[in-house]
Amino acid sequence: MTPDTSAYYYAAYVLASALYAGYVLSLWWRASRLRK
Amino acid sequence: MTGTAAPLSSHPRARAKPVFDWLFVLAVLGVLGVFVRVALFTPSELTQGDAQKIYYIHVPAALSAYLALIAGALMSMVYLWLHDERADRLAESAGEVAFVFTSAVLITGPLWGKPIWGAWWTWDARLSLTLFLWFVTASYLVLRSAVDEPSMRARYSAVLAVLAALLIPFIHLSVYLFRTLHPMPIVLKPERPSLPAEMLTTFTLSVLAFWFFCIVLTRARYRLAVLRDEAAEDT
Repeated sequence: MTPDTSAYYYAAYVLASALYAGYVLSLWWRASRLRK
Repeated sequence: MTGTAAPLSSHPRARAKPVFDWLFVLAVLGVLGVFVRVALFTPSELTQGDAQKIYYIHVPAALSAYLALIAGALMSMVYLWLHDERADRLAESAGEVAFVFTSAVLITGPLWGKPIWGAWWTWDARLSLTLFLWFVTASYLVLRSAVDEPSMRARYSAVLAVLAALLIPFIHLSVYLFRTLHPMPIVLKPERPSLPAEMLTTFTLSVLAFWFFCIVLTRARYRLAVLRDEAAEDT
């Protein structure tokens, strides 16, 4: 029987997305600070 | 005659290329498209369940980190040869992006390992070397922020970037060289890939989408570095 491991799958995708989004936000924030 | 200040829109930094543009939107849509394909159109593996789908972000993140590290090392060698500051900026940008993707590998790996191995982490060669690579990329960023003199900073960090890229073959081959819990490569190996066709298509699309995202992030970071250097020249 296939085990229910979906919680790990969701957690990995959410955390990875948060990491990439955080990095993009940091680029945007640093660029906007330099433009001011 | 009294001088007048230039309007803000004509200031060089206000007219500089945007850090994010339509290519960035395209890259994000590509990655989101892969997420949708993984969730809705890719079957779960029978013995691992949905956790196996972590494969489609874990391995492409590792391959993106390798891409950024190799680009950083090549640009570092170009800098050491030609002393071109654009090569140093590109190496710096690729180094930061490599750090982000290596972090993604270290976040998603344990979340896959726990349900399959029963442990978040083991000190085997593949995992330990990847953690070591993360420390090296972190050290690269710390080194760059610690040295003020530009040519010295570029020279020291170029040497570290080349050494970091030398870890890549050891990480890839570690599963052959040492006893390990980590699975053997199922796509990047001399024989035919041992993934079913649907999974292989999703994996291939994911690698392409992540590589494109990696390139676009490096480009955005490069433009930020240009902005920063122009600001430094103004002051």
